[in-house]
Amino acid sequence: MAFSFCGSLVVALLVWSGSAAAQQLTDRQLISTLGQMTATAPVVDVGLLVQEATANVTRGVAELPNWGKLAQLPQLAVEIDFENNSVAIEPESYRTMGLIADALHHPQLRHYKFLVVGHTNATGKAEHNLELSLQRADAIMISLTTTFGVPPGQLIAIGVGQELPLDAANPKSPVNRRVQLVNLGVTK
Amino acid sequence: MTNRIGALGGMLLASLLAWIGASHAQTVSYADAMTMLTRDCGADVKRFCRGLNLGNNEIRNCLVGHQGQVSPQCTATLDAVTASIERRLAAQASVFKVCAGNAKQHCKGVVGEVHILQCLIKTERVDSDKCNQAITDAGWR
Repeated sequence: MAFSFCGSLVVALLVWSGSAAAQQLTDRQLISTLGQMTATAPVVDVGLLVQEATANVTRGVAELPNWGKLAQLPQLAVEIDFENNSVAIEPESYRTMGLIADALHHPQLRHYKFLVVGHTNATGKAEHNLELSLQRADAIMISLTTTFGVPPGQLIAIGVGQELPLDAANPKSPVNRRVQLVNLGVTK
Repeated sequence: MTNRIGALGGMLLASLLAWIGASHAQTVSYADAMTMLTRDCGADVKRFCRGLNLGNNEIRNCLVGHQGQVSPQCTATLDAVTASIERRLAAQASVFKVCAGNAKQHCKGVVGEVHILQCLIKTERVDSDKCNQAITDAGWR
């Protein structure tokens, strides 16, 4: 598990991996990290994020204006494991899903809207990775809004494929496979 | 005599553990529920429910559909987890209604659910049993 802080706003990138680390991650950590919304946080247009990701396959999105804005919002990344080339979540990741659900149900977060961003590493075709990352983000959103009872209006899912690696020097690293949760602000 | 006392003690202990188990189940979080489900049903999920997802209760429906084949422990855990999650969601939906009187009395001028909840947690000793139980069952203490 690793935290990194950047800018004036606390942006935590917390990558969960393995069951031992999962025991350390708590819904309170999720709540405190995701709940640090400030009045100066930028407004992000999700449609523009999708446009930028679709138009920049293999070129990356880190330097693009809307993805740059996204980096300024309270967020964290978790690892959720899927069956190979599938949208089925592995049982070993059920607890992480439960932690996210517990956090989203808490009064401190339940009035906020969250973006679920799916990421892959750079193994395989970039176009396929973009599609798979969206399907997996969708699967997470659907799980949260059905089985876990999170109101559907609280979540939006998008995929960015391999275009925003956590470890840019090693694009094929498994650490780049992750799900990013970003607080978009109060639900309207 | 010693044996009878021992047997009685054992029964009491069993009752106590069952009671603690029931109390715990009332406030189980999604995270702990999922840990139990993975522990007791993970192997059955991999055997009978490959390719299915957590969403739309697909895993639950799959395990229920294979009730004769999945382990008894999995079936028991699935039932317990489902019931306790329902109780937790109901508590979360009712906390501010159940505690409205206490909030009015002890948290005057406090605005917003987060702040009211923080206030109610601090005033636990003078809040009603129902309010305290709702906050506990909601998992918000």
